[in-house]
Amino acid sequence: MYRYDQIDKDILADRSAEFRGQVARRLAGELSEDQFKPLRLRNGLYLQLHAYMLRVAIPYGSLNPTQLRKLAWIGRTYDKGYGHFTTRTNLQFHWIKLADAPEILDALASVDMHAIQTSGNCIRNVTADPYAGATAEEIDDPRVWAEAIRQWSTIHPEFNWLPRKFKIAVSAAAKDRTAAKTHDIGLNLKRARDGVLGFEVMVGGGLGRLPHIAPTVRPFLPAQRLFSYLEAILRVYNRHGRRDNIHKARIKILVAALGAEEFARQVEAEWEKIGTSADLPDTELARIRGAFAPTAFETLPAVSEAFEAAKARSPAFARFARNNLKPHKVAGYAIVEISLKAIGQTPGDATAEQMEVVADLAERFGQDDIRVTHEQNLVLPHVKLDDAPAVWAALAEAGLATANMNLVSDIIACPGLDYCALANARSISVAQNIAAKFADAERAERVGELKIKISGCINACGHHHVGHIGILGVDKKGEEFYQLTLGGSAAEDAGVGQALGPALPYERVAEAVDTLVDVYLRERQGAERFLDTFRRTGVAPFKEAVYADVH
Amino acid sequence: MKALTANRLIDGEVVFWRNGQWVEQFGDAQLFNDDDPAGEAAEAHGKNQPTVVVEPYLIDLTQSQGLWAPVSYRERIRALGPTNLNHGKQADGGAAIEALQHAHGAARSTGRVDLIKRK
Ligand code: SF4
Repeated sequence: MYRYDQIDKDILADRSAEFRGQVARRLAGELSEDQFKPLRLRNGLYLQLHAYMLRVAIPYGSLNPTQLRKLAWIGRTYDKGYGHFTTRTNLQFHWIKLADAPEILDALASVDMHAIQTSGNCIRNVTADPYAGATAEEIDDPRVWAEAIRQWSTIHPEFNWLPRKFKIAVSAAAKDRTAAKTHDIGLNLKRARDGVLGFEVMVGGGLGRLPHIAPTVRPFLPAQRLFSYLEAILRVYNRHGRRDNIHKARIKILVAALGAEEFARQVEAEWEKIGTSADLPDTELARIRGAFAPTAFETLPAVSEAFEAAKARSPAFARFARNNLKPHKVAGYAIVEISLKAIGQTPGDATAEQMEVVADLAERFGQDDIRVTHEQNLVLPHVKLDDAPAVWAALAEAGLATANMNLVSDIIACPGLDYCALANARSISVAQNIAAKFADAERAERVGELKIKISGCINACGHHHVGHIGILGVDKKGEEFYQLTLGGSAAEDAGVGQALGPALPYERVAEAVDTLVDVYLRERQGAERFLDTFRRTGVAPFKEAVYADVH
Repeated sequence: MKALTANRLIDGEVVFWRNGQWVEQFGDAQLFNDDDPAGEAAEAHGKNQPTVVVEPYLIDLTQSQGLWAPVSYRERIRALGPTNLNHGKQADGGAAIEALQHAHGAARSTGRVDLIKRK
């Protein structure tokens, strides 16, 4: 893991001291709310429905046990014993007091963490493949690039006041686990035929009011030219982005307006002017790469007797192994996914105790490494198969062993109207109602991969547009209604879902999802996933079933 | 009927106006008749307390089972706390809380009288 150097530490200490002064001036009345609000937002502090919310950056979703324990401690000391992991792989505390915020920033800084650039029109936390360094599928370790982007974009003077917020993802394999095509820039690591490392560069993805899937503007960019190219993209955006209209200010609108080809042409022209001076020196790249040097893995047999015996003994463990363990690049190891979607719980929430359990497990069995996924789950990327039964048992005791990864109850849900000041409708309880319908693990497994994503308003923090089933909370004459979309995807086959029909009232949503699943089970052929069946049949059979009793 | 609400500056707590004070429970809030200028006067007063509260605004109320409740679902959630965990004001319990929890008949989403969406 990358260790902050003195420059990083000084920046955090300075920022924390600066914010402490700003809070004091606000409380003393020397700053008005209008003056203070942009300053607190720059430090990730929002005023929500019930309290302040602090959004803590988890750079490229990577944490060590010390950091996770500190987050648990903050949750217990300053919140109500919880933290909420988000689709941006950040952590939000929902019950923060303004007066405590400076203390919390100091506590974060003590473990090299912060809330800088988690809000505002700047380059936000980079998303990276959560299996980094652990999957055999990866072309290169995306953390190396994500960390370099973090350093480059942190308080970058030229890109600190963009027309709108800006999100970058680094996907490292053919299988996209970062939702790259929904980011302002999606970088997909590639290797050219001659072995040269590079990126496919996709620009102009984004959800929200006007969803766009990012087109490829450059099929192959040599990796050592990344930063000059990023700079060129940001410059074109900074120059032509629509600062006059907040709804049209994201880069997706610019790319769509110019067309991907013309946008690419302008970027290339700018890139030419910049030259190589903005690129990262090889020595610096090597320094960063050194921080992610592979940990020493043991030489183990590919088959673990202890693991096989535990599976044979315990159907529950076997189910967990089937759904939550993923192949590791090293024989005898596995990637362990930890679901934060226990039936009846809030998607993405973890209690302080649960965070501590995960931190302990990472320390004892997982090479001190923890990842956060954009699907609001956690990952222990390096666990020996021999240790998997013990890890499972400890997770189960903490309520963290739900074996539902990628299944129907592994639902993304934003905080929605339960917490968020911008919401139209609740997301969490809709997710809970749906999950309850699929509490029978066997049935959920029979249904197979099904990604449900719920947002409480059009801002789409819950990625509803790209859910296999997307659910958007809307406001109809003051009541909570939900617009369903089908057939979206956030993966390498990304696409925006298609509306099912008129919005449904709160009480009917879970039942409608149940109906959609029944239609799928009836229609599916062979090993089709829900998404495949939908793509083959179109919306008609689904629509007919859900609205049958409405007519 | 209307009530005046805001978030308290120092901790973000949802508060309601009662005779010149800010109180934490909706059940203790002062109620204003729709045509009573005292409501707007209280709002103006609240706006003059920038070191005490953030952005006070009037909300519409509706009668439910003989008690007053905010019209909008959003304002009910502010008055009670989130519905997923018992972490808000609902944790205090009591008759006024229960009445709010059982209130029904929403009419307008924001329930804000000035109808300006909060950011
Ligand atoms: S999608 Fe809307 S309701 Fe949900 S967290 Fe984002 S802004 Fe809030």
